[in-house]
Amino acid sequence: MNLLLDVLTTSAILYIVSAGLLLIFGVMKIVNFAHGAFLTVGAYASLVSARLGLPPVAGFAMALLVGAVVGMAIEWLVVRPLYARPLDAILATWGLAIVLGQLITLAFGREVQFVPSPVDGTFAFAGGEYSAYRLLLVGAAVVLGTVLALLLTRTRIGLVTRAVIMNEQLARGLGIHAGLVRFFTFAAGAGIGSLAGALITPLSSVDPNMGVPWLVNAFMLVMVSGVSMASLLVATLVFGAAQVLLSTFVSPILGGLAIAVLAAVTLRIRPKGFARD
Amino acid sequence: MTEPLVIATPPRSGAPLRLPGRALGLFGASIAVALVAPWLLDTYTLNILIRAMFFAMLALTVDVLWGYTGYLTFGQSAFFGAGAYAAGLVFTHLGFDPGHVWLAAGLAVLAAAAIAGLTGWLSFYSGSTPLYASVISLVLPIVMTQLLFSGGTFTGSSSGLTGYTMPDLSLEAWFRIAAGALVLLTAASWLVVRSDGGRLLAAIRDNEMRCAYLGIDTALLKIALLVVTAAIAGAAGFGYASFSGVVAPELAGFVFGTEVIIWVALGGRGTLIGPVIGALLIEWASAYLSGSLPFVWKLFVGIAFVLVIVLLPQGLLPPLLRVFGRAKRADLPALTVTLTEAPLAAHGTDATQPVIELRGVAKHFGSHQVLSGIDFVAHRGELVSLIGPNGAGKTTLMRCMSDGAERSAGTVRIAGHDIRHAPAHACVGFGLGRKFQTATIFETLTVAECLRMARVRIAAPSWWRRSTMLALPPYALEVLRATELDHKLDVQARHLSHGEQQALELAMVLALEPQVVLLDEPTAGLTLEERSRIGRVLVDLAGRFGLCLLLVEHDLDFVREISSRIVVLHQGKLALEGTVQEVVDSELVKTIYAGSGHD
Repeated sequence: MNLLLDVLTTSAILYIVSAGLLLIFGVMKIVNFAHGAFLTVGAYASLVSARLGLPPVAGFAMALLVGAVVGMAIEWLVVRPLYARPLDAILATWGLAIVLGQLITLAFGREVQFVPSPVDGTFAFAGGEYSAYRLLLVGAAVVLGTVLALLLTRTRIGLVTRAVIMNEQLARGLGIHAGLVRFFTFAAGAGIGSLAGALITPLSSVDPNMGVPWLVNAFMLVMVSGVSMASLLVATLVFGAAQVLLSTFVSPILGGLAIAVLAAVTLRIRPKGFARD
Repeated sequence: MTEPLVIATPPRSGAPLRLPGRALGLFGASIAVALVAPWLLDTYTLNILIRAMFFAMLALTVDVLWGYTGYLTFGQSAFFGAGAYAAGLVFTHLGFDPGHVWLAAGLAVLAAAAIAGLTGWLSFYSGSTPLYASVISLVLPIVMTQLLFSGGTFTGSSSGLTGYTMPDLSLEAWFRIAAGALVLLTAASWLVVRSDGGRLLAAIRDNEMRCAYLGIDTALLKIALLVVTAAIAGAAGFGYASFSGVVAPELAGFVFGTEVIIWVALGGRGTLIGPVIGALLIEWASAYLSGSLPFVWKLFVGIAFVLVIVLLPQGLLPPLLRVFGRAKRADLPALTVTLTEAPLAAHGTDATQPVIELRGVAKHFGSHQVLSGIDFVAHRGELVSLIGPNGAGKTTLMRCMSDGAERSAGTVRIAGHDIRHAPAHACVGFGLGRKFQTATIFETLTVAECLRMARVRIAAPSWWRRSTMLALPPYALEVLRATELDHKLDVQARHLSHGEQQALELAMVLALEPQVVLLDEPTAGLTLEERSRIGRVLVDLAGRFGLCLLLVEHDLDFVREISSRIVVLHQGKLALEGTVQEVVDSELVKTIYAGSGHD
């Protein structure tokens, strides 16, 4: 039972962490290597909020806001000139990750810090006990997924965004301001990334380089998911399960490599990954 | 048979001769610096520079892969790490001994090359994307570091290996070894990237699909290149570990891999010297500044990196050279190339055997049937036009003929060879040439270099020198002469007019000595005069030289003038086939082209 919950919660965490990256990749066809840094920014936002004595929810809101604002600035200053050079965009965003990491180091120091969990203790479940916060994250992932899905399929903003995803030229021709769509998509992706950082901090510690390992896993998940939120869900469930099972039964080292290696092999066999068609 | 036919434009003020002299001077000066510097520098600086020079060798390999070949790799550090650990492991577990130095060096190179072979096989296959290859290059160092972490006392886990006995050499000797190796490696890379073989790397960067349709197995070539550069990176790692006496998992890691990219990007990708200077300067400055300004320095490097990527994608060296009036060196000096006529290989096929044969070819995308039941045969000397309304599947049919992976059913034979699932470059090997609708050429290569790429399949290029002779089949020379491209051999292809680019692509395809040539709308976007000129050329190719030409064309007048046979494709099926008169006068064609068709 615990194993099943491990799979479920691990997948939920992976989904939360990857969603912002996927949003940006889907709309802009740009791999945002600053995503790890956004996670870190969010984590420190919640740290600051906790130190100010604000409730955890304020920390999450702050992370979302700070991430979105930083994302706006970055899109405007750095990403915008690079749409025609996607490989250079990877590099520039990686450079930004270094810059953000150093700025955080200058402001907060290099040491590892901790944010208290908003929900303490464990949850009695089918005869066992399980970390309540991890279970809460499953709920958070469901909410995040649902909100994104509704935004994309049920609103006008979503319609416009999907038009840009499918055929940007045509969308432009129809009078859609693709530049504006990209601007807000990047801001939203950054905000979600930052929120994800705040959400995972109670489980791990906070340090200026915490984003890097997450970035790699999120990146690989997005690569196999293509541009679909639904395939991301499948990918996180499958690879999350692989990670948990390998860590539990074989070795944690292999488990840590599971996502990267399996995703790479999946892409070699089926370049589309989990995306349909 | 091989008398010179055309002499290219006169040499431009002897530039090709001056540069090698200057390069030789630079080479000599670098060697002198390598010998003298140890007497002038203090121990600390020497220490830093020796390390930095091993890193610079790694940066050179990244520049060749990324700057010249267009393969952005985050994983070159993994090979450096493999080499370093080969040294660390041998010296730690077997002890130090002169024989072990050779053992470790051999292991370093072999291990790196073997890992690169595996990585290359995973990264490069026909149809792989640049992004996918970069993804794999990202996974590699992560796997490497995790394996090193999990090695327990054998690999020293997270703290790595230290305290092993190293080769007993003075600091001065180490400096001369490292500097000498770096200078030699730079010079060798310089020769290679300028050679005819090296231009192949630029051709892959410019247009990989065109390379494949010139019969070049780009995947194999990139794997081979990765193996060679990995072996060099492994050797550099071996040198680093033998000198420093410390190996740590970070050496094989992703973050170090991106650091190498930063050196290359700041110095100037595709310049060789730039990345070397970038690695040396940044490492040297880091050693001095990270003590006094630890985080600010790294912040500064990060900002500089972002600025350079956004504003100066070519890095800092080219603009600096421009400031000092040395802008010329950015481009290769043009080389005077003499065209000669290549003796034509006799094709075994007689006129009665079809050069292209399709049986039951079909193609569907999901449930959407684009082509079905296509049977088609063409022989030497035929000029067949394929016509039909938009969406009839003409271009799809061409794809099915030229790449074994494209069709869903049926067989295709090119000059008697069943193509099965052969990729494009293998189909070209069977005797196929394909000209695309939009001119598909190598933008940064000169006309002569573009043509030489088309000859790679027949005459393997040298990897260290540039040939001044270029042998082409007579009909390719005809095209060059008819379009006056033979006077523009040293012009970069991107500076040609649209019509000239189309002609160049046709000449490249013909340089393959194909038996059957597919042309997708060869007259699209051409002026009336260019159009009639290309018409004459095509008729000549079929009539005089016996090539089989198959073209997709919309212009019915053009088709009527030149074709020996016309095939009508309608709704994915061969609707009609016959002589020009039969087809043009048919009801079907009248309906389709009068616009009253039901399509």
